[in-house]
Amino acid sequence: MDYNLFSIRSNDAGFSALAKLAVVTKEITNDEIELNFNYCKHFDANMAAPLAVILNTLIARKNTIKIASPPWKVEEILRKNRFLQDFGYRVLEDTNHTTLPFAQIPISKPQSFAVYLDDHMEGKGIPRMTQTLEKAFRQSIFEIFVNCVGHSRSELGMFVCGQFYPYDGRLDLTISDAGIGIRQNVRRHLQDGNISSIEAIKWALKEGNTTKSGNKPGGMGLKLLKDFILINGGKIQIASRQGFYQFAGGNEEFIKLASDFPGTTVNLEINTKDDHIYQLISEATPNNIF
Amino acid sequence: MNSETRISILEIVGSPICVSEEDGQAVHDKIAPFIQDHKPVVISFAGVTDLISAFLNVAIGQLYGEFNEEQIRELLTVSDMEPDELDLLKQVNDNAKAYFKNRQAYDQAWKDEVGDEE
Repeated sequence: MDYNLFSIRSNDAGFSALAKLAVVTKEITNDEIELNFNYCKHFDANMAAPLAVILNTLIARKNTIKIASPPWKVEEILRKNRFLQDFGYRVLEDTNHTTLPFAQIPISKPQSFAVYLDDHMEGKGIPRMTQTLEKAFRQSIFEIFVNCVGHSRSELGMFVCGQFYPYDGRLDLTISDAGIGIRQNVRRHLQDGNISSIEAIKWALKEGNTTKSGNKPGGMGLKLLKDFILINGGKIQIASRQGFYQFAGGNEEFIKLASDFPGTTVNLEINTKDDHIYQLISEATPNNIF
Repeated sequence: MNSETRISILEIVGSPICVSEEDGQAVHDKIAPFIQDHKPVVISFAGVTDLISAFLNVAIGQLYGEFNEEQIRELLTVSDMEPDELDLLKQVNDNAKAYFKNRQAYDQAWKDEVGDEE
């Protein structure tokens, strides 16, 4: 089949457009799918991760994918971040050193994610962040990664990529999984099949809520992430099934997506010009923390 | 009098990156028998570079479901932690205490609240 992909930005409309592709191709197996980028005038680099979820799901069903006619600007972005490498396009050197390349990371290997960050966060033109900002950022993205690993049950692993925008002082890092989504996890946990995607995301965001089984507390990762992003002036986006969530400037938005977006994607955007010291005013000492 | 045993997180995990629940479980399994046997234990975080709540929830927070607060406070000590790491661990412990006290109430309240769609 042939499918025309239009511009994809990192917002609810972009996720809805990718979700539509997933829905339209949902039943296709053993086929050849030509994804026509001719009308795709803009593609935010970080959105390669959620697109990879859809394409790799199709490949897992023995389909072959052809990426056709990307306009040069889009092709350049997706060759530089190595997304197009698996579709027969040569990698372009990232001369501006602003790309956190596309990568697929097995869920069993959080250490591989650490290697990815070590390889691509430093010395690649991304400005040296203050030590406390870098530590808080790493902590936040590990929380996301481990959260997704624990809940996705994704056999395809995790897809990551990112982009640094030097002029705006923004760094986007996106982690996607092809798992069952937040809604399904919360429905199973609460044994309530009626919960919508948005209600499920709201539940997952509530401090202390966790779908983990057994006597293990949790439910802190997203709260800590929000605390950090609020101070930093960055942005969090979560897309999972028909739910889209955005937290920016202290405001929360929940939007119902037009189509069912597979798995879960978390996009973290940080303000790299931030010079806050990330140490909360705390009375915690080794003698009073238990 | 019981002498203190010192446990190195770095040695148990085998890496300075303390992020996974599996590694947290290995640390928990090392600590829990000491508390069970009423022996004091010091957990050293020396050399740890990455530490997150998902790891600490399993390594330490989980203990609040197995032992009472007094036992943990009396027998467990931490060392070589940065102020931000201490703060994180304090939040993990407070969350764990609330979790084990209110767990079912939380879920039930939410079940009553949500509507259905989709």
